[in-house]
Amino acid sequence: METQSLQIITASNQWGALLPEIILGCFAVLILFVDLLMPNLRRQIPRLSILAQLLAAAVLYTGICANCERTGSEVLFGGLLAQNNASDWMRLFFLLGSICVTHIGSVFLSRQSLARVEFHHLVLVVTGAFMILVQSQHFILLFVSLETVTIGFYILVAYRRDSRASLEAGLKYLIMGAFSSGMLLFGVALLYGAASNPELPMAARHPLNFEDLGVFIAASNELFNNSTNLMVLFGAVLVLTGICFKIGVVPFQIWIPDVYQGAPTPVTSFLAVSSKAAGFFLLYLLLDGPFAALGYMTTPLLTVVAIATLLFGNIAALGQRNVKRIMGMSGVAHAGILLMGLLASLKVDWALLAVFFYLVTYALASFGVFEVMAHVADVDDSDQDMDRYNDLLKREPYLGGVLLVSLGSLAGIPPLAGFMAKLLIFIAAFQAGLYWILGVALAGVVISIYYYFGWMRSAVMDNPFLADQAPASIASPRFGARLLMGILAGLTIILGFYQGFFPF
Amino acid sequence: MKEILFHFFAALTLLPAFFVATSRKPVNAAMNMLVSFVGLSALFVLLETYFLAILQVLVYAGAIIVLFLFIIMLIDPHKSPAPSLLRFLASIAAFALMVLTGYFLVYGPEAGPYAQLAAEAPASLSRSFGVALFTRYMLPFQITGFMLLIAMIGVIVVSRKDPATDGGEA
Repeated sequence: METQSLQIITASNQWGALLPEIILGCFAVLILFVDLLMPNLRRQIPRLSILAQLLAAAVLYTGICANCERTGSEVLFGGLLAQNNASDWMRLFFLLGSICVTHIGSVFLSRQSLARVEFHHLVLVVTGAFMILVQSQHFILLFVSLETVTIGFYILVAYRRDSRASLEAGLKYLIMGAFSSGMLLFGVALLYGAASNPELPMAARHPLNFEDLGVFIAASNELFNNSTNLMVLFGAVLVLTGICFKIGVVPFQIWIPDVYQGAPTPVTSFLAVSSKAAGFFLLYLLLDGPFAALGYMTTPLLTVVAIATLLFGNIAALGQRNVKRIMGMSGVAHAGILLMGLLASLKVDWALLAVFFYLVTYALASFGVFEVMAHVADVDDSDQDMDRYNDLLKREPYLGGVLLVSLGSLAGIPPLAGFMAKLLIFIAAFQAGLYWILGVALAGVVISIYYYFGWMRSAVMDNPFLADQAPASIASPRFGARLLMGILAGLTIILGFYQGFFPF
Repeated sequence: MKEILFHFFAALTLLPAFFVATSRKPVNAAMNMLVSFVGLSALFVLLETYFLAILQVLVYAGAIIVLFLFIIMLIDPHKSPAPSLLRFLASIAAFALMVLTGYFLVYGPEAGPYAQLAAEAPASLSRSFGVALFTRYMLPFQITGFMLLIAMIGVIVVSRKDPATDGGEA
């Protein structure tokens, strides 16, 4: 009787499908023991961490190749988890991103007197949680993995406990993060209450499962005359609000500049790339899954949000001199473009690939910029003015070159990958008929060139007014850093000419 | 009878929760939170989910509040300044709006048949909790383990005074 149904459920707990995440978890614990028991191996911990991620990536890639003919998604763990090609590529994206974060972190930590192994431990655990997050098919799994990510970030943002800026950023992120998690939970509770009502004919059996919830919402739309199931609407808006906080779109962007500035550079890059990507994929999962029948409400809402985000992000970045704040504000603007692509992907099939391509180019360019930043920054990396980059191209040609390529890609200068990514998203938005956002986005791109070029100019030219100041201490990149930056910048250039890796 | 009790305990949950946010002394806020938790556990009893009610009292009213009081005692915060009249009115308006929205969602003309809902206890026993936790929800359970691990490590990292002394090759 009961044992039999339990056996059926446990049989679907196929842990093998989560092997990459399990590898990350095991190595996360292992490096703690290495630090504790083998002090002479402490120097190797970043390498061990990167090795673990490469191993997980290899396992994952093998899985992707083995499953390449799969269509649709494979539901595992009794409906908690669904794997499909999109989520598998996102997992690989997070793994490769976290390798960059680990490397930037090791460069950053080598110039600081801070705890080391804990940073790598946290990055591994958070990456594993990201990878589970994008496969989640159930609000409980979504919330648990999202909280694991968020708690990891609370710590990582406040990691430089001797710095005021870092602690302030940590506190701000803690409060905003807790607030947004609360919003999300309220929304989930309302959705649960609405969908599990036994008085309704179409009450869902597992109301927190995305698929069951989607079926319920579609059915309740018909029953409630297409627009008036208020509890569902309310819950959906609260859930979307919670996620919009995480990706930092207007009007939920207030935490971005301070947190990006105060957080250690590797953590800023982690927030800017992986966290944002996870939020967008989550938004896609929800909009395309359970909230698909609420398009009449979500599409106008997110259209307004996207327009406000594009305008605010670009205009607010204009007046900034601190490079980390510029990255934060321009990140808000990029979120607006991604949101546009996401809205397009609900109507145009290939637009999701365009969003993914955009995320990849954004990640390559951002990690390039942050890697340079980790070398250029002083011990106190929160206070980095543009003037610090004065004449970088002549002083450290390699760093300067990578910075120019990455910034050019972020601005969307033609031969580079960022241009192609923007173009593809704009075409998708045009096909989806999102003309208003498209117009604002085009204006935003023009504005963004101004502040990116301001930064590029100070890297290329020698400002005579700064000549009498002592030259800033810039770390010369070592072989590993040169290799990584070379790969990032090289891919940024190659993807601008050839996009054949992506099956558009 | 049950409905009257529900409204009573709902008020007992919500009003102190409002005072948690507005009271000027941290200790008062913590005590209000305690009352709010007790009201919440009474609501769980009304739903016949006794296990959750007990957990609510044991864990939240017992352990968490004590923890809060310890922290309040350690950092010894001062009484916060009195809010301006506008802020006070705004917070009352926000509270009233939230309560009204809740009632509108449940009792309003276009709400579903939520008000007539019979109490049904999906998880009245600790057994059904345990069974669900260790079969269907095994994966989130395991992830929670990692979440607690990083929270512990995070406390150590953020609170340690002088990390340079044992940071390895620093």
